[in-house]
Amino acid sequence: MTLVIEARDLSKAYGDVQAVDHVTLAVKEGALFGLLGPNGSGKTTMIRMLTGQTLPTGGEARVLGIDAAKDPVEVRKRVGIIPEQETPPSFLTAMEYLKFVAAVRKIPDLGKKADWWFDFLDFADKKDVLCKDLSRGTRQKLMFTQAFIHEPALALIDEPLINFDPIMQDLVKDYLAGYVKSGNTIFLSTHILEVAEEICSEFAILHKGKLLHAGPVADLKAEGGHLPSFFLSLVRRDHRV
Amino acid sequence: MFDLFTSMLREEWRVHSTMFGSLSFALFPFLIFGIAFMGSFVIPLVEKTLPVGNLAIVVHANYLVLGLMVGGFGMLGNEVMNRRFGQASLLAYSARSLPLSERNIFASFVVKDTVYYFFLWVFPFAFGYILASPFIHVPLASALYLLLTLTLSFLFGLCGIFFLSTVYVWSKPVFWLFLILLFTGIGGILATGLNPAILFPPLLLHNGFSWTNLLLSCAVLASLFTVSLWLFNPESVGSEKRYEDTFSPLLQRCSPLPNPPLAAKDMIDLYRSGSLIGQTIFSFIVPLVVIWFFLSLMDRMFPSHGLVFLFAITTGVIASTMYTWVTMFDNFGPYACLPVAVSTLISGKLTTFAILQIIPAVFIAVVAALSGEAAYIVPAVVLGIAVSFYAVSVMAWLCGLSPDVLVYDVKVLFVYLVLVGLVITVFSAVAFMNPYYSFAAIILAIPAWLLVQKAKVRWDAVDPAGF
Repeated sequence: MTLVIEARDLSKAYGDVQAVDHVTLAVKEGALFGLLGPNGSGKTTMIRMLTGQTLPTGGEARVLGIDAAKDPVEVRKRVGIIPEQETPPSFLTAMEYLKFVAAVRKIPDLGKKADWWFDFLDFADKKDVLCKDLSRGTRQKLMFTQAFIHEPALALIDEPLINFDPIMQDLVKDYLAGYVKSGNTIFLSTHILEVAEEICSEFAILHKGKLLHAGPVADLKAEGGHLPSFFLSLVRRDHRV
Repeated sequence: MFDLFTSMLREEWRVHSTMFGSLSFALFPFLIFGIAFMGSFVIPLVEKTLPVGNLAIVVHANYLVLGLMVGGFGMLGNEVMNRRFGQASLLAYSARSLPLSERNIFASFVVKDTVYYFFLWVFPFAFGYILASPFIHVPLASALYLLLTLTLSFLFGLCGIFFLSTVYVWSKPVFWLFLILLFTGIGGILATGLNPAILFPPLLLHNGFSWTNLLLSCAVLASLFTVSLWLFNPESVGSEKRYEDTFSPLLQRCSPLPNPPLAAKDMIDLYRSGSLIGQTIFSFIVPLVVIWFFLSLMDRMFPSHGLVFLFAITTGVIASTMYTWVTMFDNFGPYACLPVAVSTLISGKLTTFAILQIIPAVFIAVVAALSGEAAYIVPAVVLGIAVSFYAVSVMAWLCGLSPDVLVYDVKVLFVYLVLVGLVITVFSAVAFMNPYYSFAAIILAIPAWLLVQKAKVRWDAVDPAGF
C-alpha cells in the first residue's frame, strides 16, 4: 500500500529542548492515523514539520512523496491543515475568509461548497460576522471547513474536536470516518484517547519527543487491549524511566 | 500593580530577546549613545552653518516626532495587537484571567512602553551628549539639562498623540472638532506673527529654566495622560455586527497586481480595524506636519527650493514605515495552513504598501503646492516615493515580516541607518544642486528590487516559527 507520510529520524530541537527526537513513522494511504501523547510531547511540532511550517533540525519527512522541508508550499497545496490554534484573519467575515482561502488555493465554484459546509457545521448564521467576533467553537468550525473545502487526499489535523460541543464532535467524527472510507487519509493529533480508539485505524504514541509505540488499533484490540489504559501504562512507565 | 508592571517589563525584554538575542537588544541603546556621543563632536564644526539654537530645535523636534510616532496607544483597544502577538499571550491581553481591570492593565502597559522608549531612545542620546560635553566645552549642567528637555519633548509627543488617538477612538466628531480647534489656535498664533515653536514648553525651558514652565509642562502631561486613560475604552468582544462581502470586489480590483488575495485581505484589515485612517493621521500626517513646521523654521539654511525636497525625502522615509502598518495584523501563523511561503507574504505586504503610497504622493504634492513650489511637484513626488520604496526594501530585507520588533536589533538598526542615511545624504545633495536632478532617484528602483529579491530568499530560509 502507498505511504502518504514517511518520517525518518525526524528531529526538532529548540535550543536545549528536544521537542521531537529521532522519530521514524509511516502512514499508509486510507488510514485514519492518530498521533497521541501528553501535553508537550511533540505532537504539534510533528504536524508543523510534516507540513513545512517549521524546519526539522534532523532527519527528513516526505508527505505525498514531497520533501516537506524542501517544498513546503507544494505540501500545503496538496494537504488540508487544521492548526493547533484557530487563527483566521480577524477582520474578514467567515465567508470572506473562505473566499480568501479559495483565492489562495485557486478553488473553483466555492459558493456551493461553502454553503454545504456552513449548513453541515451549522454556522450559516455566522457567515457575515467578523472572525474576531466568532466564538472559539465557531472559529474551529471555520478552520475545519478551510482544511477540507478543497477535498485534499490527506488532512493533518491538530486537536480538531477540542472546541466542539458533544453533538458537533459526533458529527465531525462521522465525517472523518467517512472521509477515509472514500480513500483519503487523515493524520489526527489528539490527546482525547477515547476518540482515537473509536475512530483511528492506526496510532502512534509520542512522549517527550520520542516515539514509544506505533501500530494498528485493531492489533491492540485483538490482544484484549484498551487504548486509554495502554497509553497510560506506556507513558507512566516511560516517565519513571 | 507594580508586579504587573515589572512582569510586563520582563515580557517586553523576552519578546525581543527571543527574536534576536538578549545582546543585540541590550546593545540598542549603546548604538543611540554612540551616535549622540560621536555626533556631539561634529557640533563645533557645523555651528557656523547650523546655529546651536536651530540644532536644539532639530533635536527637540526629533524627540517630539519620536513620541508622536510611538504614542498611539488609544488605537490599542482594538484587535491589532492581539493579532500581532496573540499567540504570545501578552499580559496586556490577560484581563479576562487576572483579577485586574482592563484600565489598570492598560495603564501598566502604557507606562511600561514609555519607560522602555525612554531607556532605548531618550536617555542614551542625552547621555552620549553629557559624556561628550567636557570635550566640546559645553557646561555639564547644560548637557544634563538637555536630558530633561528632551524627555519632556518626547513625552509631549507621546502624551499628545496618546490623547488624540484615544479621543479618535472614543468619538470621531469630538476628535475632528478638537483637531480643528488645535489648528485654528496654531493658525491664530501664526497670524499674530509669533512663532508657535517658542511656545513649545520643552524649547521654552531649554532657552531658560523656569519652575513655572516646568510645573506647567508636568501638569499638562499628567492631564493628557490621565484623560487618555480615563477615556480609554477596550474593544467589546463578541459583538455580532454583520458585514457585506467586501473581499470579492476588492479581489477583482487587485487582480492586476501581484498576490491579489493577500493585498485585498490587508486592505480590509486596515480599513475595518480603523488603522488606515488612524495610522494615516497619527503615524503619518501629524508627525510630518510637525516636521514641516520645524523644518520651515530653518528655511534660510537651504537653497530656495531645498525645503520641499528635504521634506519629500523625509516623507519618503516616514512613508516607508507604512510597511509596519500592513505587517502588524499577523505574523506567518495564520497563513501556515495555506500554500503560501514567507516570500509570498512579503510580496503581498509590499503590494499593499505600494497601494498605500498614494497617500505620501498626494501629501508631498499638496505640501509642494501650498509652499509655492508647485513647479516642483513631480520631481518632489518622484524623489519621495523612490526613497520610500528603497527604504522599505531595506526594511523587508532586514526584518522580513517583523519590522516593528526587529528594528530593536542593534545590527538591524545600524545597517538600516547606514543604507538609508547614505541615500538620504546623496539625494538631498542632488536635489539641492538642481531640483530636476531628483528624477535620478528613479535609479533607486534597482537596489530596491534587488533587496526585495534578497529578502524573499533570506526569509524563506528562516524557520518562520517566531512567536
